[in-house]
Amino acid sequence: MDPRNFTYLFYGLLAAWLIIFVYVLTIAARERKLQTELDRVRRMIEEKEASRR
Amino acid sequence: MRSLRAAWVVAGKDLRSELRTKETLNASLSFALVILLLFSFILDPDSQTVRAMTGGLLWLVFMFAGALILNRSFARELPNDCLEALIASPLSGAELFLGKCAANFVLLVLVEVICLPVFGIFYNVRWMRQPGLLFVVLLLGAWALTIIGTMFSALTVNLRLRELMLPTLIYPFLVPALMAAIQLTNVLIGGDTLEKDDYIWFRVLAGFDLIFTLLGMALAESVFVG
Amino acid sequence: MRYKLIWLLAVASAALLAVQIPIIFFKLPDELNQGMVYRIIYFHVPAALTAFTCFFVALICSIGFLTTGNARFDSVAAASTETGLAFATVNLITGSIWGRYAWGIWWTWDARLTSMLVCWLLYAGYLMLRRAVEEPTQRARLSAAVSIFAFADVVIVWKSIEWWRTQHPQPVLSLRGGGGMAEGMQAPIYWDFLAFVLLSAILILIRMRQENVRREIDSLRRFAHAL
Repeated sequence: MDPRNFTYLFYGLLAAWLIIFVYVLTIAARERKLQTELDRVRRMIEEKEASRR
Repeated sequence: MRSLRAAWVVAGKDLRSELRTKETLNASLSFALVILLLFSFILDPDSQTVRAMTGGLLWLVFMFAGALILNRSFARELPNDCLEALIASPLSGAELFLGKCAANFVLLVLVEVICLPVFGIFYNVRWMRQPGLLFVVLLLGAWALTIIGTMFSALTVNLRLRELMLPTLIYPFLVPALMAAIQLTNVLIGGDTLEKDDYIWFRVLAGFDLIFTLLGMALAESVFVG
Repeated sequence: MRYKLIWLLAVASAALLAVQIPIIFFKLPDELNQGMVYRIIYFHVPAALTAFTCFFVALICSIGFLTTGNARFDSVAAASTETGLAFATVNLITGSIWGRYAWGIWWTWDARLTSMLVCWLLYAGYLMLRRAVEEPTQRARLSAAVSIFAFADVVIVWKSIEWWRTQHPQPVLSLRGGGGMAEGMQAPIYWDFLAFVLLSAILILIRMRQENVRREIDSLRRFAHAL
């Protein structure tokens, strides 16, 4: 059997799962960014409400 | 009927303003000329291979030059809040959309009709062999470009990178219509008669035009007004 | 509740894959001409099918948004399109690698690869447009319109390119088993498809929640400025 056969299969499957993995990583990164943003805005609101009273 | 008249008013306004200044037409035609010039360096205009590519060349030129016209279509309404005025007017979204499409279509066909003889001269192509059918293909193809281009012009009008995004967005959409137009133009300019296989492309082009005209009119209200 | 759903989907997807992967690699015999590498098809085809399922979900949600105005529809549409695009990328890359082995070239203008590339460009344009529009309601409206246009075009593109390629023959990548595959070899494609769909559902749920959080941030920020 042609030994390149297995190499290509390996790279092909690696590529497939790598792409999905990278996408999951970008989702996770976005989650972190959104969480910090949310915390920041909530803090800003609390400060403004506190300063109004 | 009132709708068509309303659309016609919009089309008339656009055409009148464009034909007075001719700025977009001039830019579009110059651009088309430049592309024809550049292609002459890439391809040897006398060879046999170019014969097979005439349709592709022609439609690429129309697509690129057409993008300029389509970009201006809604962009010209931005100064002085004209776009808001149009949206606030009694015109429905579909009427506004059709009116804009009609104006762009006329300008596009004008560009095509001027480019064709120039193309014939530069590339030594006799395009008058089947003028009737060729003209039908030009009209159908121009309508496809107009419909998609006008819709996306409306979508991208308020974006910063409008000039960049419009071509990037519309060209993938136009792939089926482009293929059909290229295939038919190749056959017709070559002087051959259309075979049975080629009629499928007429159906593709007509179907594309019909589907996206209906979709465009249905979605125009949501896109313009919300 | 949502976390439980996500866990359930993850377990189901993992279970399916755990069952299928040994079958794909050990039980099935080597193919006559291509040897082992044909097994890529068990990820290549399900990825394409999953991508189209995601795009179809995006279409339904876009129509839903335009008719009801409920912003959640927009979140699902955006999430679904992004996930679909990821799977379309998987399809293109695995097809390219397979093609490299089968014909020695990285790319070929075969009907299906070309159509998939056009679809990829259409939906990449959708995401690009979303990124360019800042106002949330306008973004939702415009994206919904583009999504509907794009799906209509996808159908036309696939048929047209198929006809184009029958008139201009090119090497044909036998993607789907269809008539060419033996009985036992077809099943893993569909099981893998199901596994991928479950996986995409997870990604869509997570991504959708992120879109909703973003919307909440936008409205909170406006509230903060109003104070």
